[in-house]
Amino acid sequence: MASLTASSLSFSSVSCSFKPNQVSNLRKASLSFSGKGFPSHRMPALRFRVACAAKPETVNKVVEIVKKQLALPEDRDVNGESKFATLGADSLDTVEIVMGLEEEFGISVEEESAQSITTVQEAADMIEKLLEKK
Amino acid sequence: MKLHCFQRAFFHSSPSLIPVQLPAPMETHLWYMKPSEVKSESLLKEYLDILSPCERKNVLQMGGEELRKSALLARALVRTTIARYQINSEITPRSLKFRKNIHGKPEVEWQYSDDWHPPSLHFNISHTSSLVACGVTVNSQIGIDVEEKHRSIKHNVLSFARRYFSEHEVQFLAAISDPQVQRMEFIKLWTLKEAYVKALGKGFSGAPFKTFTIRSKSVPEEGFNKLEGSSLKASEIVVDSFDNPTVLTSNWQFLLLELANSHYAAICTEKHGASEGDRNVPVKLTVWKTIPFLEDECVSGTDAVKTICGL
Repeated sequence: MASLTASSLSFSSVSCSFKPNQVSNLRKASLSFSGKGFPSHRMPALRFRVACAAKPETVNKVVEIVKKQLALPEDRDVNGESKFATLGADSLDTVEIVMGLEEEFGISVEEESAQSITTVQEAADMIEKLLEKK
Repeated sequence: MKLHCFQRAFFHSSPSLIPVQLPAPMETHLWYMKPSEVKSESLLKEYLDILSPCERKNVLQMGGEELRKSALLARALVRTTIARYQINSEITPRSLKFRKNIHGKPEVEWQYSDDWHPPSLHFNISHTSSLVACGVTVNSQIGIDVEEKHRSIKHNVLSFARRYFSEHEVQFLAAISDPQVQRMEFIKLWTLKEAYVKALGKGFSGAPFKTFTIRSKSVPEEGFNKLEGSSLKASEIVVDSFDNPTVLTSNWQFLLLELANSHYAAICTEKHGASEGDRNVPVKLTVWKTIPFLEDECVSGTDAVKTICGL
């Protein structure tokens, strides 16, 4: 997991507080690297879209819950970019997934937010945002 | 009444669809397909062929053959169904264009000309991996939802209901002691709620599930239904909304069916011309089981369509 400090990034108009080794406070819009424009030898392990990505542990937990809800085989590739709809989740599955996330992380998700998440990454980001508010 | 379409051309010109008259006001058409019955690769290719490039891309992106197939059939069903109504001679399954309204609800984008006004045709689709359905009305908003009867719910039904359903609905479900029955009633309620939200067409945030109650209401029947002194009551499904005044929710009527012995189907349509206290004008429903370009079967009145409530 890459840890980014303020000195190695420049961004504009972002108000955030930095906790060491945590990037999840950053506003999504102001920080997105596709990873392709970045020569990999300059920044280690920056392969994925940073965009204040949730911790991998969070993403992995979401993946686990999604796989369980949709009864997907263990070896099926599900990652941050996976869309629920593409994995075969209908609205009832999505709501069940959100319930599973609420139970796992001890959070409470508003109905409107629950229906608006469409990818694993969005779910993970939402979880981290809610965890912070606690 | 089984209609076989033997006109399928050997040359790959446009395969034919048996034309159908548009539904009358207060009439709903329901078309459905079972993916398991579509096995021909060439037929699947024909379906893929009538999709727009964007739809094709979405279909092929689905993860897994079963998902791809039901996604493909959903698009093929809506295109062939609308084309059947022969709105004008220019329309073919492939030529239809779709767009989303401001809330994201799909609708037909009619290609206007100066002297032609399209009919007020409304449609809505729903699909599971084992059934794909399309409902059609004229002049009425429509929302449909289908779910497998035996769909498993991973969570405890009452926990789920407490979290997402209204208090009245929770009480209704909590009063059911048999867990199997409770689960099935839950699924019926879910399809009804989904159908209502889809009919409203405002997206989920337009009507969060907790803000309305769907329930069964007894309706006293007169005339020949009152047999031998017993008050046989029909019941209808009604929606109470906490946010909107009742005058708005009485605009909606519901049908709940068991389809093909395997699915619950809920259909929500707009009522027109009814005011508070008016008797419910019965909705006419015609149901077809179809394999577009291959065969259509009108299954209304057969075992494939069992009314649970509303007709």
